[in-house]
Amino acid sequence: MKRNVMTIVIGAVLIVIFALLLFVFQVRQSEVAVVTTFGKPTRNLTEPGPYGKWPWPVEKVYKFDQRVQNFEDHFSQNLTADNNNLLVMVYVGWKITDAKAFFPKFAGGSTLAAQSMLESMLRSAKSAVVGRHPLADFVNADAKQLKFDAIENEIEQAVQSQLQTNNCGIGIAFLGIKKLGLPENVTQTVFQRMTSERQILISRFQYEGEAEAQKIKAAADRQAAETIANAEAAATRIRGEGEAEAAKVLPVFQKNPELENFLLRIGALQQSLNQRATLIFDERTPPFDLFQHMPANGPSRQP
Amino acid sequence: MTMSHDHEPDHTHEPPAPAPVMPDDAGSQALAEALRSSFAIVKVVMALMVVAFFGSGFFTVGPREKAVILRFGRPVGEGEKILLNSGWHWSYPYPIDEVVKIPITEIQKVNSTVGWYATTAEQELSGEELPAGASLNPAVDGYAITADRNIIHTRATLYYHIENPIHFVFDFVSASNTVQNALNNALLYTTAHFNVDDVLTRDVAGFRDAVLQRVSDLTEQEQLGIVIDQCEVQSIAPRQLQDVFTRVTTARENRNKSLNDARSYENQVLSQSGAQASSVTNAAAADRARYVQSITAEAKRFSDLLPKYESNPGLFAQVTLVQAMGPILTNVQDKIFLPERADGKPRELRLQLNREPPQPKTSPSNP
Repeated sequence: MKRNVMTIVIGAVLIVIFALLLFVFQVRQSEVAVVTTFGKPTRNLTEPGPYGKWPWPVEKVYKFDQRVQNFEDHFSQNLTADNNNLLVMVYVGWKITDAKAFFPKFAGGSTLAAQSMLESMLRSAKSAVVGRHPLADFVNADAKQLKFDAIENEIEQAVQSQLQTNNCGIGIAFLGIKKLGLPENVTQTVFQRMTSERQILISRFQYEGEAEAQKIKAAADRQAAETIANAEAAATRIRGEGEAEAAKVLPVFQKNPELENFLLRIGALQQSLNQRATLIFDERTPPFDLFQHMPANGPSRQP
Repeated sequence: MTMSHDHEPDHTHEPPAPAPVMPDDAGSQALAEALRSSFAIVKVVMALMVVAFFGSGFFTVGPREKAVILRFGRPVGEGEKILLNSGWHWSYPYPIDEVVKIPITEIQKVNSTVGWYATTAEQELSGEELPAGASLNPAVDGYAITADRNIIHTRATLYYHIENPIHFVFDFVSASNTVQNALNNALLYTTAHFNVDDVLTRDVAGFRDAVLQRVSDLTEQEQLGIVIDQCEVQSIAPRQLQDVFTRVTTARENRNKSLNDARSYENQVLSQSGAQASSVTNAAAADRARYVQSITAEAKRFSDLLPKYESNPGLFAQVTLVQAMGPILTNVQDKIFLPERADGKPRELRLQLNREPPQPKTSPSNP
């Protein structure tokens, strides 16, 4: 009987494995699956894990990549609200959100078919949204007037709502402008304008530099002259203060102007005869008046 | 099957009759022997296969990667524990488990060239770029439009590493493409609100920071699970206008130079005038002090002398004069004494003025 047990065990294991292969399938992380019963989508599986099913031909499983896929449309020309031709290219991150809706819509869930539909939706959304905005909304130094984000959001919402009305089972994760451009002949005009703007800048820098330098130098000169004039005024004032201070002392001399007069004369004499002077005097000049009283034929006549 | 051979003898012993058949059947015995040994080999092989089956579940995770085990397609573990660090790990063999390895600490990079003219790295290195045409063909040449509607070329390289590999690997078909588009968008967006001179010269660092900020915002919004390390941005004027842009730069530098010259002149003049002013006022202050002091001293002397003078003015005057004459006469260089002539007539005296010239040294040199 042991033999039978072993055989049965092995057989059972084999049958279980076979049954598992037939009745069970996995949905991997990053995948979604749709189960069709006799060709009609019946179940939508979005969570990863093992699932049961009836074997073919009753049920069939289709798996799709649930991850965000990149799509970029063509660089297409649109007219802005202020009649500028603007080339815009956008990139889209889209993903399958509802495999049950997605699967029948695009012949067996073809990503390419989905993308070509997405592209046509993008084209109309883009031209509608770009047509509502002037060029200043796309490029502007003022952050408040720049509507870059708003434009992207508007395109995204337009596409999103179209996807919803068509029930495509696709969601947009993000959308952004990838490239902006101008028609080729316009670039030439822009270059001409840029060149003339540059030339204006060049001459402005030249004259501005000279004028500004001149201004700085003149201001410096004026300020220097002013400083010196102020200093001279201050010097005069200071001297005046000194004289005023000295004037307080002057009444002292009035007690005896004769003495003052005498003292001043002596001082003047001292100063004027200080150096390199030749003094010629006779015996009436003190202290040489002493000679008067000496014998007239005295021996000393040398200087 | 091997067991059935072990049991066969038991069954044959119950009926004793066929015993004599055994010796005749030497061939079948040899066959049984051969079968038994070959089954033993099969057993060993099966055991090895079982070991190999479970052993195949071992795997290593390298130092620069992380791994995730998917059991029936679902990640094993919760939150941070999903990620397996480097080292040995074991999982059930396929189809139960599946191991996904993710490079993590490696720095990855993407380039954005949507704003650059048509060129290749080789052409750029060898300097054999195609000459710029009169206009830019939107199908080939990329560029960006600045806030003041100038056309410039700008490109960027972004360095990043993966912080959350679960988002990076399981949520995006091509996450690096998504990062690249975020960078494209950031360059375009940032250029759209910078003026041309800011991008090219005045605020290059500010422009780069703004690009970086926009990329970080976008990748965060899109939940890419990356951390940005560095962003390099390069911007140039269109090649068609390179010359005129250079001339603007030169003109700007010349202007700055003349302004700097003027400022240094300004500094010089102002500091000179300041010094001069302070010397003028200092001299005045010194004069004042000297004057006041001298007059005060004079007054003091006067007050001191006054009583003496008043007591006998004539004597005082004579004494003072004689006292003063002493030092005066010592200082006087030439003293000539002319005594009165005996007859009382005045003497005639001739003075040669202009005493300066007869200097013995200077006269020969002056012809």
